[in-house]
Amino acid sequence: MSKQRIFLIVLLLLAVVGYFGYNYVYQDHRNIKTETSQLEITAPYLLERFKTNDAEELLNKTITVTGEISNIEGDAITLEESVYASFDTMNTEVSVKDKVKIKGRCIGYDELFEIVKLDQSTVIK
Amino acid sequence: MKTTITFAIICFAFIVSAVGQEKYATKTGQIDFEASVPSFEEVKAANSNVSAVLDASTGKFAALALMKGFRFKVALMEEHFNENYIESSKYPRATFKGIIQDFDISDISGKSDYSIKGTFNIHGTDKEMEVPAVISVNGDTVMLTAQFVMQPEDFNIKIPSIVSNKIAEDVNVFVEFSLQKQ
Repeated sequence: MSKQRIFLIVLLLLAVVGYFGYNYVYQDHRNIKTETSQLEITAPYLLERFKTNDAEELLNKTITVTGEISNIEGDAITLEESVYASFDTMNTEVSVKDKVKIKGRCIGYDELFEIVKLDQSTVIK
Repeated sequence: MKTTITFAIICFAFIVSAVGQEKYATKTGQIDFEASVPSFEEVKAANSNVSAVLDASTGKFAALALMKGFRFKVALMEEHFNENYIESSKYPRATFKGIIQDFDISDISGKSDYSIKGTFNIHGTDKEMEVPAVISVNGDTVMLTAQFVMQPEDFNIKIPSIVSNKIAEDVNVFVEFSLQKQ
């Protein structure tokens, strides 16, 4: 095999390794909006599960929560005083007392306010 | 007679607690931290869903951040932060409970410097710290900002030597709470 040929093969290998390496290190963030939801649950029941320590497996999962809007502040919606869902950008017009379905990433239970928090949410319905 | 006294005490306790409740709170507090080393990828994250409560009559202050709420620019860094360093599935919350020293809300005019003494709980580890804070009052809003330095090893967070030259030993933390009267 000629030297030139070996050089070309090594170069090609490096390019492939570099390409996959770069894609691994700079992989995209999750897109919660397009992920399929792992679970559909009502807001009070979700809170209940966190209060009784039965929700660890839901952390970081994309879930759908249903309930009536009890409060809207800035880019966040509270469902039945149990679930606080924050939005990167609010995608629909909603008002208090609306019954909605919200998809978001479950980030955990806030003991100060006794509320479960979701982020990167979207209103589905 | 005994019941009357008991009743009076209970009434008094209720009145005192009612008067003593001057609460300010937020669910959208901001915490940013940065542990960047020059010429390497920046190590920086932000969480804008931090909860905090201030009892203005006593100066008691509490804050809670969900670790999974910290967002990084690089997705892989976020994954490593959650899985390897802060272990957010095991320790989903970071909390602070403390008292603002010599706090009297009626004293505050403009931006005033205060010191908050209290306990952080991060990564399941407690640490007492005194943190300087700037507080200002605007109508029904109390603004509290603070800037301080933390060390991961104080909270039993181990940075593997292979990446230790890419992550600063001192983590700069910036917090901003806009607390609304409840």
